[in-house]
This record gives sequence, structure tokens and C-alpha cells, in this order.
Amino acid sequence: MMRRLRRTLAIYGSVASMTPKTFLAYSIWVWVEFFLQIMAMIIFVYFWRAVYAGGGALNGLSLRQTLNYILLAQIILPLAQTRAVFRFGFIIREGQLIIELLRPLDFQAAEYADSIARLGLYLLLKLPLVVIAWLFFGLQLPANPAVWGAFAVALVLGHAVLFFFDWAYACLAFYTTETWGLSVVREGVAAFFSGALVPLAFMPGWLQGVANALPFAQGLYVPISILSGIAPLSDVPRLWLVQIIWLVSMLAASRLIFRVAVRTVTVQGG
Amino acid sequence: MAAIEVENLSKVFRISKKDPGLGGAVKALFGPRYEDKAAVNGISFAVNAGEMVGYIGVNGAGKSTTIKMLTGILLPTSGQARVLGRDPHRQRVANAREVGVVFGQRSQLWWDLALIESLDLVGKIYEVEPARYRQLLHQFSEMLELGELLRVPIRNMSLGQKMRAELAATLIHEPKVVYLDEPTIGLDLIVKERIREFIKQQNRERQTTVILTTHDLGDIEELCRRVIIIDAGKLIYDGPISTIKERFGKYREITFETGGRSGAVDLPPGAEPVGADSAARKLTLRFDRTVTTASRVAASVMDQIEVLDFSLAEPDLSSIIKQIYSGALREQIAEEMPA
Amino acid sequence: MIRYLSLYREFLIQRFKILMEYRVNFIIGSTSTIFVQAAGLLTIWVVMRQIPSLNGWSFDEVLMIYGLVTLAKSINHMFADNLWTIGWYYVRSGGFDRFLVRPIDPLFHLLADRFCHDGIGNFLVGAALVVKSSVSLGLVWTPLKVLYLVSAVLSGGAIFMALNLITATSAFWLMESIPVTQVIFNTHEFAKYPLSIYHKGISLILTWLIPYGFASFYPASYLLGRDVGAMAWLGPVVAAMLLAISYRVWLVGLRHYSGTGS
Repeated sequence: MMRRLRRTLAIYGSVASMTPKTFLAYSIWVWVEFFLQIMAMIIFVYFWRAVYAGGGALNGLSLRQTLNYILLAQIILPLAQTRAVFRFGFIIREGQLIIELLRPLDFQAAEYADSIARLGLYLLLKLPLVVIAWLFFGLQLPANPAVWGAFAVALVLGHAVLFFFDWAYACLAFYTTETWGLSVVREGVAAFFSGALVPLAFMPGWLQGVANALPFAQGLYVPISILSGIAPLSDVPRLWLVQIIWLVSMLAASRLIFRVAVRTVTVQGG
Repeated sequence: MAAIEVENLSKVFRISKKDPGLGGAVKALFGPRYEDKAAVNGISFAVNAGEMVGYIGVNGAGKSTTIKMLTGILLPTSGQARVLGRDPHRQRVANAREVGVVFGQRSQLWWDLALIESLDLVGKIYEVEPARYRQLLHQFSEMLELGELLRVPIRNMSLGQKMRAELAATLIHEPKVVYLDEPTIGLDLIVKERIREFIKQQNRERQTTVILTTHDLGDIEELCRRVIIIDAGKLIYDGPISTIKERFGKYREITFETGGRSGAVDLPPGAEPVGADSAARKLTLRFDRTVTTASRVAASVMDQIEVLDFSLAEPDLSSIIKQIYSGALREQIAEEMPA
Repeated sequence: MIRYLSLYREFLIQRFKILMEYRVNFIIGSTSTIFVQAAGLLTIWVVMRQIPSLNGWSFDEVLMIYGLVTLAKSINHMFADNLWTIGWYYVRSGGFDRFLVRPIDPLFHLLADRFCHDGIGNFLVGAALVVKSSVSLGLVWTPLKVLYLVSAVLSGGAIFMALNLITATSAFWLMESIPVTQVIFNTHEFAKYPLSIYHKGISLILTWLIPYGFASFYPASYLLGRDVGAMAWLGPVVAAMLLAISYRVWLVGLRHYSGTGS
């Protein structure tokens, strides 16, 4: 039993270790994203300073707290963006679906291994950005290691929620070839409801309701509000529990929808 | 009158040289090193209006670089090209009106549009007069059997259908000069035959000048009386096909139909067996024309065994070209080519 | 000129035939950007309903700025989107050669080759914002102001196109121009808000170096009756100059291409 588990992990481990290599091949994009994120940070810093020009707190958040939250959210944001739509679109277009399904590993598990490797690599690549935000924009990081631990767990859980949501959403690419539009819709909705642009606390009740009914906040708002101190440590167990419920239901939904989509496509001879 | 004149044409590309690995990349960033490579090196030739010329050479010999200079896409490093009396680069638009290009595998048609719509658009771009356009469309449809295809988007066409569509689009503005790059690559014999027939007919009816680059010597033998061979950017042969065959067909094959047994035969110097099939009673020999002659080989064999009949194969262009490409004949050509 | 206009019409007709063939894609593509715009707009609304003004600009006034830059962007998106793909789609594959053997201007051919329907959504959002803003603020549209609006949007579109053309030209050297284009293009995000909220240096850059300010802040100021002096009228001049510069850069790129053919 243990040996089998170890062997399985080794296989998925080797899938995951391929990720940094392919990623670094596109290093120009690492730089582009770096510049774009700095630019976005500058805009947000000035925007929020102007918002708080009247002084005081808004929705119980001071300028410092809001900026802290927004800067961290901007650093993490690309993580909350979808890859699955393009991946599925590519697989369908190139007729690779059968090849992927015939491999002696679970397709979804292999893709998840790839995705978690991306998460790790991504966090590493974002360290310079954290330093810049700290030096120039006054980003403050928590000193309490328990906060960091709670954040890490929430991040991995939230990442999984979004991964499985995207898996189900990307199945739409099986039916339409317009992957660009699909991903743009997804990015647009996620940008707002994940809380990447504005903390959920700013939203009126009904919008907060929508945000809580969508999975995006689990991947971004929850971990970032823990790290930025908006959510107190005492609240963390409840947040984790909600994330786990999301995770389980998204996992089940993604596998079901994928199976239906594959059947439709393979019936058509794709 | 010469439709194309090329004088001492050269194209030198500057290639940046990089050492392998990260160190190399960094070094290249600070002190890039370049190397000059002459893709085309001092080529001269002239093609008369209405002529069809095969332009051949191995991959990387400089064929497409030459064509790109003749179409105005590339500017020559030195020397001169004139097409219909114009400088194809400086007078690019005027030149483009009167030439047509088929770029092998790269389609000039719109992937998602039905053929008829692509053709309409091409007609508008080249300002083909509408009545003339309809007339040509009708004619091409018949010659290339486009009828049903006109409604089909390019993306749904087979290779052969695509090429027929491509040819129609290239010739719809009745260019005076046409460059065809691998027009029959990957096609089956019937489609090849149709395409060759179409090109021949266009040449006959409109005196279209055709430059054909191809690896298919069938195309050349069928369409061209003259070939230009380039190798490593240099012109190594320019003349009739028949001359190459005569002069450079070093090896020829002779086949004997034997009466009875065809056992061991002592061969004259310069000849070697290619295949012996005792059941069919055939003996095929290959001999080096520079060492011996057909009559000497025949006489020698007939002295030893009973021969009912024998035949001498025409030298095959493809085997000659193969020898030229492999470099075996390079010196010989250099010696024999009239300066 | 007339010839190119009628030719553009032909390209457009054929392009719509393709788009109609993939109707679902057409609908998703042309409406998808609305979602992204909605995210940005909801953010502004959510924040601004709690404060009296952003640096002295009311919510509806900010919408005018946002609307103008979105309209300008949509012009570029619809008519010049092929500038993004010139590297990997045309230069690397050798497809660019096709434009050079045709008897029309290669830049015209490149742009006309693909009208991009994805820009329609942006156009609708931008137009809706300008309408909403002017209705809420009770702006009076004299013919002169309408003319001013049209010229501001066209100038703004030209600024977007010119900047994209300059960065896209790098494809002739680098094969791939999207990274460079993306970085410069994204600075237009600054122009969605009043330039006065930024550090002086930033607003100078967005006025004189990457002049997206003329696609939003300055014309919006004029339309809203705020005094920005001569800046209100410089937009078309800046756009024309930038277009001229970008076309020169493009020609240099073309010359390089005809030297290397790569």
C-alpha cells in the first residue's frame, strides 16, 4: 500500500518537475508580467490614496489596511487566472484528447500536479515583487508565523477550489472554439468577485452575497484577508471549513462535467 | 525580349553567432558576433518572355532567396534584378501587379473563406476588370475542375484541392511572370498531371513566363526545356535539359534479353551488373560512359551468351541531378560549362 | 484613397461572412470584454458610493474619463488588432511575404485582413458610459461638442494604434512583439482615472511620452467644462504626429525585413 502510494507520488512528481523547465523557456513573459504588476500596483496605490484623501476609515478599514490587502491581492492575482480553458482548447484543436486520456495516469491528477508545481514556482518568482511593494509602497507583512501557516493552508485549498472550478468551466471549450472569449469572461468575473480589485467589505450586501456564492473569493479573498490581517486568526478554522466544502463539491462537479463533455466530443469523433 | 534579367545578384545574410548555454547568451548580449553567409552568390541569367525555366537546387541552395529578390520581398545585397524592365523592390507595387507567386505550402487564400470569396477578394485587390474576371473564373473552373470546390472553405480542402485553388488565385490577374515554388509537392499523379497541363496551357495561350522551383523532376521534364541549377548560392548550370542528359548522364543502363542461361559473364571494364533475373531471362548492366561505350559492352556480352534483344535506357534526369547534388559532378560541370 | 476604402469594405464583408459562420464564437467574443469592463466599473462604483469625490471628480465624471478611453481602445481593437499577432502569425510563419507580393500597401493589407469583432463589446461599454455620464450630469450636446467628441474618440483610437504600431514593428527584429506591445499598451490603465490623482511625473509621461492622457483625461475635462487650457485641443495634433512617427518606424521595420527576410 505504502509502496504503491510512493510510486504514484513519484510519477506525479516527475510530471510536476517538468513544469519549471517549460515555464522558464518563456522567461520573457515572466518579465512582462513583472512590469505589468508593478504598473498595476502604482495605479492602485494612487487610486486608493485619492479614495482615502478625506482621511479616516472606510468600512472599518484604514488606508494602510486596504493598501496592504490590495498590494498582496495584486501579487497573487495571476494565480487566480485560468489556464485550463486554453489548455483544453489546445488539446481539442490538436486532437490530443485521446492521447492524454490514454496515458497511464489520471489526466486530472496529472494536470493538478502540474498546477501545484506552478503555484510553488510562481510564489518564488513573486518574491522580488513583494520586496518592491515593501520598499516603495509600504507593504507590511505579518510577524506571526501562525498567520503565515494559516495563509499557506488557505492558499493551497483556495488554489484547489479554483483549479477544479476551472476544470469544469473549461469543458465549455469542448463545445466552442472561442477560448479567448471564454477566458476573458472568466477573468472579468473573477477579477471583481475574487476581491482582487476591492476588498469584499466595500461591497454592498447583495454583491457580497454574489461573491460568496461564487468560488473565486475562496482562491484570493480568503487567503489574502488572512495574510493582511483583515481576517483574525480566530476566524481561520471556519474559513478553512468553508474552503473544504467548496473543494469537495467542485472536485465532484468537475469530474462529472468532464465525463459528460468527453463523451459528447468522442461521440463526434474528436 | 527578356522578361527577367539577373546580373551578378547576391544576397548576404548576417547571422548572429551564439555559444551554447547561458554563458553564450550573456556573451552575445554584450558583444554580439556576426557571421556573413551568402545565400545567393553572384548569379546571372536571363529568361525570355514566354519561357518556362526550371530553377533547381537542394534545400538551402538559395532558390527561395532568389525568388524573394525577384518578387521584391528581399533587397539584393549587390547586383541587379529586373523583372519586365522594373526593379522589383523599388517598384514593388507595379511589379506585384504583373507577377504571380505560389509559395509552396503557404496558402495565400483566406483559411475560413469559401474559395469563390477568396477569389473575389483577390480579384478586387488586383483590380481585375469584372467581365474579364468572370470569363477567367469560368475558364479556370473548367481547366482545374473547381466547380464544386468554389463553395468550399480552404480549411476543408485536401492538399490537391488547395493547390488547384492556389493556382487559380495566382493566375486570375493574368500575370506576365509566374513563380511556382513546389506546385506539385505531395500530390497524386492525376492531380499533378492536371496542374502541369494547366500551367502549360497558360503559358501557351498568354505567353506567361514561368520560373519553376521544384524537387519533382517530372515537373521539370514535362514543362521546361531549360534548367538553371544552383548550389550553395552559386549558379552551376544553365542550359537545356537535353544537354545535361547527354553530357552528364555518366551512367547508362543496358538490358539484355537472354536466350538461355544467364550465368556468370565476364564484364568489360567500366560496366557492372544491376540486376539479373534468370526466370525472366533478363540481365541489366550499368556502365560508365566515360570509360566504355554501349557498343563495346553489348559486343562483349553477346560474345559470351545468347542475346535475343537488348535495350538502352535513356539517361534519367533524377539520377543525374542526384549526382550533381552530391557534388560528384561539380568539377566536371565547372570544366565543361562554357564560360 | 477611395480605392482603399472600397477595398476595406470588401475585406469587411468577407470577414463578417466568416464571423457569421461561427456565430457562437462571435457572440462570446464580442460580449466577453463587457465582463472585464464591468469588473473595473463595479470597483469604481463600489468605492465611490462611499466617498464624495475622487480628487474632486464625481462618480459620473470619472465614468466620462473611463468611457472615452474605452471608446478609443475599441477603435484600435476593432480595426488594428492584427498588430498584436504580426510576429507569431505573419512574420515567423513567412505569411508576411504574401502582403509584399500584392499590389497594395502591406500595412493596409495587414490591418484589413482581420476586423476584430472582440472590440465591439468595448465600443458598446464606452458609448454607454459616455451616455450615462452625460445624462446624469445633464450635459448639453451642442453640434460643436458632438464633433469634439467624435474627434476625441478618433484621435484617441489613433494614439492607441500608433503606439501599437511602433511596438508591433519590433516583430521584424524579435519575431515576437506581443511582450513589448503588452507593456506599453497596458499603461492606458492609468488613463482610466483622472490624471490629477497621480504623481506629477506619471501624468507628464502620460501626456508627452505615452500620450494616453489625450485619449481620456483632457477631452473629458473639456466636455465636463473643466479648464485644461490648450490641452483640450491638442489631441488631434498629438495623434497625427504620433501616427506619422509610427509610420516612419514601421517603414524602418519593413526595410529591415527586406534586408533579412526573417
